[in-house]
Amino acid sequence: MAASSVDQAIINRSLIAATHEMGTKLIRSAHSPIVREAQDCSAAIIDREGRVVAQAELIPIQLGSITQTFAPCLSLYPPETLKEGDFFINNDPYHGGQHIQDIFLFSPIFFDGELLGFSASVVHHIDLGGGAPGLNPDAGDVHQEGLIFPPSKYNLDHDWNGGSFERLVAANVRMPEATIGDINAQFAANSIGAKRLQALAARYGRDIVSDAMDEMLNYSERRMRAAITGLPDGTYCAQAAMDDDGLGTTPVVVRAQVTIAGDAIHIGFDGTDPQVATNVNNPFASTFAAAVACAKSVLTDPDIPFNDGVSRVISVDAPLGSVLNPRPPAPVRARLLPSYRVFNAVMKALAQVAPDKVMAEGYDTTTPVCLSHLGEGGYNIYLEILGGGYGAGVDNDGCDGVDSPLSNCANIPIESLEMDYPFMRINEYALIPGSGGAGARRGGLGFERSYNIVQDGVQFATYGDRFTSPAQGLFGGANGAAAENYIVRGKETITLRSKTGCRLEAGDLLVVRTGGGGGYGPPEDRPAALHERDRSKGLERSK
Amino acid sequence: MRIGVEVGGTFTDLIVIADGVARVAKVPSTPDAPDRGAINAIDAADVDLTGVSDLVHGSTVATNAVLERKGGRVCVFVTRGTRDLLALQRHDRRAIYDLNYAKPEPIVSRQDICEIDERMAADGSVVEALDAERLDARVAQFLGVDLFDAVAICLLHSYTNPDHEQRVAAAVRRHAPNMPVTCSSDVSREFREYERASTTALAAFVRPAIEGYLDRLSNTLEARGFAGRFSIMQSNGGRIPADAMSKNPISALFSGPAAGVVGALGAAGRSDFKDIITLDMGGTSTDVSLISDGVPDLAPQTEIDGLPVRTPVIDIVTVGAGGGSIAWMDDGGLLRVGPQSAGAHPGPASYLRGGTEATVTDAHLVRGTLQAGSFLGGQMEVDAAAAATALAPLCERLALSVEELADSVIRIAESNIVRAIQQVSTERGRDPRDFALVPFGGAGPLHAARVAEELGIGTVVVPTNAGVLSAAGLLMSDYVHYRARTERTRLDAEALGTVLDRLQGLRHEATEYLRSVGVTETLTFQHILEMRYVGQAFEVSVPLAEDLSDLTADAISAAFSDAHHRVFEFSKPPGDPVEIVSFRIGARATANEFPVYQEPFAGGAGEDQEPGVIDIVEGGQTRACKLMPRNAIGLTELAGPLLVEDGTSTIYVPPGWHARRDDADSVILRQEG
Repeated sequence: MAASSVDQAIINRSLIAATHEMGTKLIRSAHSPIVREAQDCSAAIIDREGRVVAQAELIPIQLGSITQTFAPCLSLYPPETLKEGDFFINNDPYHGGQHIQDIFLFSPIFFDGELLGFSASVVHHIDLGGGAPGLNPDAGDVHQEGLIFPPSKYNLDHDWNGGSFERLVAANVRMPEATIGDINAQFAANSIGAKRLQALAARYGRDIVSDAMDEMLNYSERRMRAAITGLPDGTYCAQAAMDDDGLGTTPVVVRAQVTIAGDAIHIGFDGTDPQVATNVNNPFASTFAAAVACAKSVLTDPDIPFNDGVSRVISVDAPLGSVLNPRPPAPVRARLLPSYRVFNAVMKALAQVAPDKVMAEGYDTTTPVCLSHLGEGGYNIYLEILGGGYGAGVDNDGCDGVDSPLSNCANIPIESLEMDYPFMRINEYALIPGSGGAGARRGGLGFERSYNIVQDGVQFATYGDRFTSPAQGLFGGANGAAAENYIVRGKETITLRSKTGCRLEAGDLLVVRTGGGGGYGPPEDRPAALHERDRSKGLERSK
Repeated sequence: MRIGVEVGGTFTDLIVIADGVARVAKVPSTPDAPDRGAINAIDAADVDLTGVSDLVHGSTVATNAVLERKGGRVCVFVTRGTRDLLALQRHDRRAIYDLNYAKPEPIVSRQDICEIDERMAADGSVVEALDAERLDARVAQFLGVDLFDAVAICLLHSYTNPDHEQRVAAAVRRHAPNMPVTCSSDVSREFREYERASTTALAAFVRPAIEGYLDRLSNTLEARGFAGRFSIMQSNGGRIPADAMSKNPISALFSGPAAGVVGALGAAGRSDFKDIITLDMGGTSTDVSLISDGVPDLAPQTEIDGLPVRTPVIDIVTVGAGGGSIAWMDDGGLLRVGPQSAGAHPGPASYLRGGTEATVTDAHLVRGTLQAGSFLGGQMEVDAAAAATALAPLCERLALSVEELADSVIRIAESNIVRAIQQVSTERGRDPRDFALVPFGGAGPLHAARVAEELGIGTVVVPTNAGVLSAAGLLMSDYVHYRARTERTRLDAEALGTVLDRLQGLRHEATEYLRSVGVTETLTFQHILEMRYVGQAFEVSVPLAEDLSDLTADAISAAFSDAHHRVFEFSKPPGDPVEIVSFRIGARATANEFPVYQEPFAGGAGEDQEPGVIDIVEGGQTRACKLMPRNAIGLTELAGPLLVEDGTSTIYVPPGWHARRDDADSVILRQEG
């Protein structure tokens, strides 16, 4: 039965609203600051066939590939075998997952005893075991990065709420109360998604709702195809590089070939560098999500609902054994670094056909700062995600001091952080004037976040980039400023590599400075009024 | 004699109650000098101010000062290292796929922010002391050039120890004795520095505008012989004496919508409805809120122009669905309505003021649910043919007849309102079917029955003079003052003493405060605990009974568990550690009066007038529908479809619904079955 156009419009918006409510309540009932303050989580509603129909706009990299993460679960446990209270869990980078820390939970939604769809939530968990608290910068394989949950099925009543599976998880993580609390927040979000979908089925009828979900996919597909049709056919190539793999000094290069044919796009990565020994490998799900997020951002209005209809129009492949589709058991924790270079390379290829819609390279490096401390009460682990400056566009300066495009983490308020992590205090949290690349429009500014360490034995770990090759300007714009990390210990300044870990002592000052975005167009074309605005605000480089 | 004056975006409404009888007046607003519109309304109603004992005022002055960035130039003092607090904001984006993303523009420019050498720790201990000499020098240096109209101070961890903020304020006053100073620890004593700083900066920013406005207005009033009490509506739904408002102007934001909620609450209460959902639909947007047992839900935080405001406000959700909302088709072929609006200018196409795009109002004219002769009681001319012309291009693209399209436009606008109501009901763990819907504003009563149907709500209560209910709400408001204290307290057997002690202390402070600003009436109190499971960061409000004598720790724990379950669909087993984060009380002095109208606003055709019959095209069917004035509705129920012209609004009673008037003069709509 077909939904009328008005029912269609109403169900569309209701499903999107339901995912927003899931996301909001997930954040508000969670325990770890990485979820409740930084909001490193996402939520979606999936149809019976396993296609994502609606999602809360939270973290693009998590959202782009929920279907890929869900598919192996559904093929192992067909719909007819599912019952109330069942859930799927998956975080396996080699079976549709991304990195270990992102746990995907899927709950089937029944209506009158029949399967209607699934609710899905994903959270970045603060610690899932592995070789170091929160973030193991030295992992040589994925097994050292934490507990792997392959696509599997459990039951809330049977295995959770005090059951064996819950106890297994609690016993293998360093902050069990936080981790179990955050997983419970995911279950609560899933249950809200279920209630809202059931209410729609009760109001409109199951068939109308199913039909409307199909049509939602068609709708996004139509809008995506309409956006592509106007572009000239052809294959456009570009590349982008990470500074290094964390051990050597050779750049790791991503090479993209974007083929536009009629109303579809194929994105390939032939010639991309082989996988590396460190954690900067990209599971294929992340490669897919990054490529699709870039194409959607460049080619369509922000208001096109992102669902599987969008991905129908875009196909992606990457050579097995490359850094964008590694063989197991390569470590993958820092997968966002290669994901960003996928984003950059696809963007530069699209710049050749849609120069007004793209932006210059931004800092585009989601930089985690992990500080942990083992005290009498057990582990206390701080993890925060830092962005920098956005690239400039044809008509706008890049956004200053903001999380990078594939992520969307809020900062952890200084007052919240110092309440929860008494082993440190923030020394400075401020923009870096002049760090955006000059241009007709300038790149966004990077920022400094520095930490006074006030207890001995604090473990620091991170993975950054753009220390040696900063964000590139576009069409004559200048490059953004590079990033840097260092420690001030007494009179000594200790320079750090971008991907590293070390022990800090009381009195140390840890300084993390993120990079600026690239400029767009020649700097001499910059309007005088914009110069004056930056000068009066003190945002230009100080002499 | 008492008067309420509400300055809105388009109209300024006035209500005057003399000897128990109310009259209303409506005049155009004067956005450049809103006080002139207020005086015009007083003149229009021919009110002699010497006889007025009580004047309650609501305006959009504070809101507009922010939206138009016409506040004072504010200097903000912050802790060293945090000069970019207002620029960095929360480091996230509202639109994740927007490559041209720009953050909300801060209210204070970067060069006006001054860092102070000082530091508190999270427990309120001093890490780096303030050096008095250096502080004075810094303040003198920054304020030396006479640039600023106001000062805001927001230092790290001042919510737990405000000492440094107070000392900076003292230094500012020494240097510039007349400078208005706002400390973050006075505005919002809660953690999260960006939200607190944003609230403080906004308060300082609107203060000169509000103070100037209220001074001008009260001078004019006094010059005309007014010697009564002058009070101002707050966003929490209560009023406060005008002198006190100029010290805490942030609470004036959103006072207009709050007045409407109070008006709806008063009108519904007279008809014996205490559990209601309000629906205030005007030209550009619709505000909805939920009231349980006569008490509106309060939200701890709201935002304006993308900037967070941390102050208790009536929990109102606004959607861009109004009479002027524009219908359009997106590039995926889906019909959409709003949030773009034709506004007052040019207005809907049918107003013939140059608008060409199809709006909700135009759709009603085509469908028949608005009649060309009934706008503002027949005082305003509209053209139904122009409405049909505006809809035509969309008909072609969507392959719908003009009647079908009109009906779809209205249903989509209504579905946007339904989702807003779901946000305040189902998403807060309340079942809308347990509530009556109370519509007001020009367009509310037109959509209420259909919106109610979608939500399973069986009763709609339409107050008298629904189009000017906000002004009436001013006079129905009580003096209200909220006070909160953040102090994390683990809930255990010993905690009860602390709870009682803190609530008692807050009652005492609130009483002192209200007495000091001249409120002498008897006070009643609301007790609220903001609670969470240990480890969470966001609190759930747990209201307690007014009488605390039977309170136990177990009862608090059970009340929290219920509240948590209602919002989040789960709660943990009893015994899981729970903490109180903030103690909050509301003090209320009753000052309200309910207006009884002698005659309707306008269009008051007599009861003896014969009902007309018109055609309404809804859901693909054309039905004959009776058209009648409000007075034709009596105490016996009439069956829909009916279109009831009510002067400031139109009530639509669809098929399957009945309408009657009750003793309180509200029109009650009831769905069959």
